[in-house]
Amino acid sequence: MGETTPEAEPRKLAEEARDRVHFEEEALELADQVYRVARRLVSTREEAEDLMQDTYARAFRAWRSYQPGTNLRAWLLRILTNLNIDRGRRQQRAPDLQPLEEGDYYLYNKLEETGRAPNVDQERVDERLSQDDVVSALSAVPHDFRDVIVLVDIGDFSYADAAQILEIPIGTVMSRLHRGRRILKRELADQTVGSV
Amino acid sequence: MGFGAGVDPCEACEELLQPYLDRELTDAERAEAEVHLDGCSYCRKRYRFEEELRRFVRQAAAEEMPPALKQKLAELRTPLY
Repeated sequence: MGETTPEAEPRKLAEEARDRVHFEEEALELADQVYRVARRLVSTREEAEDLMQDTYARAFRAWRSYQPGTNLRAWLLRILTNLNIDRGRRQQRAPDLQPLEEGDYYLYNKLEETGRAPNVDQERVDERLSQDDVVSALSAVPHDFRDVIVLVDIGDFSYADAAQILEIPIGTVMSRLHRGRRILKRELADQTVGSV
Repeated sequence: MGFGAGVDPCEACEELLQPYLDRELTDAERAEAEVHLDGCSYCRKRYRFEEELRRFVRQAAAEEMPPALKQKLAELRTPLY
């Protein structure tokens, strides 16, 4: 009976407003974590800030399409990665299909060759590599590989979440992650040891 | 992949490094890797280094969101009236 009374419509509107406010608050609470990923998907802080604003503007408009109870951080990052690709990123994509000779021990071996290998009992990586080394090595990794490293190794997403965010099969996430980490270590070796 | 006959065990172990740290190996593969790691300080050092490197990359890549951006995002919220 209540749903047919003249009061029903205002009540419905009030409920919707409450749900929307709740959604917006939850999304804003995640902004720091979303930014951490966004910052490493693009090259500059300005690009990351623009991308964040476009993402949140779109998310606030499309809030009804979010299914409560699902992973909101992944939902926001799906919007963000799509916007990033729409911005012309695809043009910069160059498939990296060359065989990669450097294996997973490459960086350690290079550090060892130059007498910079970490002590066995005290793996103080931070004494051998700097934050700047990591940031610039990461930015030198091709986009397709970097996206996966950023989502899994920095954003702490599962393979399944990363697959959903990037709209690629989970097997592709795994192979890009495997290769991307090796490329990252090669870049780190080039930057820290190659210049010696 | 794997520690088969004719395969350099350290090369086989290097191939397992990422799935090992990602906990993606089968129990049998994991056991094989651990037997090798127990007896091989060359590989053990490199596994420990990789673990530490991942932590360092995560930490080094983290950048705080500028407070002004947080404010701008909050301003994008739909006005109530």
